[in-house]
Amino acid sequence: MILYDAHHVAPAYAVRLLAGFLGLPLELQGMDVYPGHDDRSDEFLALNPLGTLPVLVDGDTVFTDWQEILAHLALAHGPDWYPATDPALVGWLGIARDLAASAGAARLMQTFCVPGDLAEAKAQAERLLDEVERRMWFAERAGHGWLLAGTHPTIADIAAFVSIAPCEDGGLSLRDRPALRRWCDRVRFHPGFVPMSGVFPPMANT
Amino acid sequence: MSTIDPILWNDWHPVAETCTLLSGPPVETVLLGVPLVIAADADGAFHARRTDDVPLHQDERYGLVWVCLGTPERPVLAIPEADEPDRPAVTVGSIRVQTAGPRVIENFLDLGHLGYVHARYLGDDPHTQVLPYKVDALPEGGIIATGCKMFQPQASPAATEGFMVDYVYKVERPLATCLYKANPVHRDRFDVIFLFAQPVSEEESIAHPLLLCLPDGTTAADLRTFQQLIFMQDKPILENQVPKRLPLADGAELPIAADKSSVAYRRWLSKIGMTYGVIPAQARAA
Amino acid sequence: MTMVPGNWYAVAAEHDVPAGHIYRTALGGNDQAIRELAIWRASDGAVQVWEDRCPHRGVRFSLGEVVGDELRCQYHAWRFAKGGACTFIPAQPDMKVPGSIHAKAWPVAVSAGLIWTGVDPVGEPPVLGEGAAIRAVPVARPLAEVETALAQADLPGLALTLQPLGDTETIVRGLVANGDCAAADRALAALRRQLECVA
Repeated sequence: MILYDAHHVAPAYAVRLLAGFLGLPLELQGMDVYPGHDDRSDEFLALNPLGTLPVLVDGDTVFTDWQEILAHLALAHGPDWYPATDPALVGWLGIARDLAASAGAARLMQTFCVPGDLAEAKAQAERLLDEVERRMWFAERAGHGWLLAGTHPTIADIAAFVSIAPCEDGGLSLRDRPALRRWCDRVRFHPGFVPMSGVFPPMANT
Repeated sequence: MSTIDPILWNDWHPVAETCTLLSGPPVETVLLGVPLVIAADADGAFHARRTDDVPLHQDERYGLVWVCLGTPERPVLAIPEADEPDRPAVTVGSIRVQTAGPRVIENFLDLGHLGYVHARYLGDDPHTQVLPYKVDALPEGGIIATGCKMFQPQASPAATEGFMVDYVYKVERPLATCLYKANPVHRDRFDVIFLFAQPVSEEESIAHPLLLCLPDGTTAADLRTFQQLIFMQDKPILENQVPKRLPLADGAELPIAADKSSVAYRRWLSKIGMTYGVIPAQARAA
Repeated sequence: MTMVPGNWYAVAAEHDVPAGHIYRTALGGNDQAIRELAIWRASDGAVQVWEDRCPHRGVRFSLGEVVGDELRCQYHAWRFAKGGACTFIPAQPDMKVPGSIHAKAWPVAVSAGLIWTGVDPVGEPPVLGEGAAIRAVPVARPLAEVETALAQADLPGLALTLQPLGDTETIVRGLVANGDCAAADRALAALRRQLECVA
């Protein structure tokens, strides 16, 4: 499987993270998105006309949507990560997409000087973070550790984590969002975790 | 006359990468609180201007557009290695960080964090001991740290194994630093990595890394990716330093012997009377 | 008026600080200084409330990690034990760490399921009674305004206490007698909306 990847692109990190948890080898095809604009090359646009990262090539199939890639890998290699009978999965993946468009966008503006409406992105992200915090707090009180009820993390946790864990890069704060910080710890300590710059792995040689 | 620290007001600062300007829209940025727009024209020439149209000085070197808002007392920092024909200058892009410029520079000089912030790349537990090294003043101002050694699992994209890496660090201007580091292929020659901190405000910076590396099979894209990955590991550390401005008083923070270069950098900033992005030593007593 | 020396302030619930986790919050003083706090537990369960700042280079401890019985700073992995003493510096592993290198530890009291601290707090923390710790609700208004609003609100079964985060932000904490945290949360969320839209 070939992953067209850029180290700092959160949705690409989501795929690397799931592959890490599932123990799947990925052949990484690194792209110089910033400042090189590899994502605007004819070759890449032929693969994915939308020009977004990541892209996964698995055999003859090309996947160009990050959440579809997560679903594909989970269905094929780790069904526990894809609880298809729980409608909440759809809701959480939607929230994760909204987080990518707000917290994720703020992070790119505040890191790579990407133009955009930073105030609006942050305001939308604050609303979402408050709500995810509220839900996570009650989930914890009910004995759950993950976004969906149950004992196993899902692709929803991964999809939300990649925007929430590095959100402070975008000028947002997890201070006084204690349930989110504890949940981030649970993801980081889950076996197979791989880091991204800005999200520290558990310290070595503990 | 500006009331801003004349040391920075009259110095040159990089404000944009030429590759970004050639392939995209004009860049809007801020230098020392002054909004700027930098654009490339149809002939590929670059034009920096203040949004209030007050004149400024402009230059272009090493793939970067440089601006001086005041009266330049000297040219843009000379980099002799940039003239060596086998070293392409690779800019890494503008990376924002919400802290003072001197914090960014000091972190670049720091050896003790390599095994933790850059674990598995530039250092690794338990090879985290900082061996004694030497720090001296540079004749033209600034500091140089020599004899620095660190075991690095993956010192650069071309490294295939871990090895003990020799380093020399220099700070020649308050917000310009560089390191010389043994190339993993040509171990008798040095790669040179510069880091310039563009002071946006007292507590906000844009880092402009510049690579002058020897050809070892690594593409410019790979070099950029590696350097961005490393700098983005530093970003959360830098943004979690309190206070954001660098305190210059001895004893304001607690250095150990391994922090010799940091101590020398702070003392040099004190000596030249730097005030922007720092907490001057006398301010602490007040 | 924000934080007053001598008073105890609830800054976390006990369940906010599971083993191995560093909880992050702040107390804003009337001197305009915001004191950030990192809260964790030693392996014997003893709660540690520390200034959220490594004395070495000022990096927030809350970015670091609890390893065994110690907190490690993320920047240089300096290790700090219960009470705040620095025990190990990896850059100089053979050095005996000077006693002067110390995290700033705050007073701690645990009562009614809440963790309390303050600047030179006097006596015991206030008695809130019995009940379950509710979800803490941050309100982007000064403490005095939140206090006034709470005094006028009809919130039966809730025993509340306020944590100033700064001049313009306050956290409402407390206990709900009947254990219905969801109802308490809805009531406080409504209060928050009412206070924040007045602004």
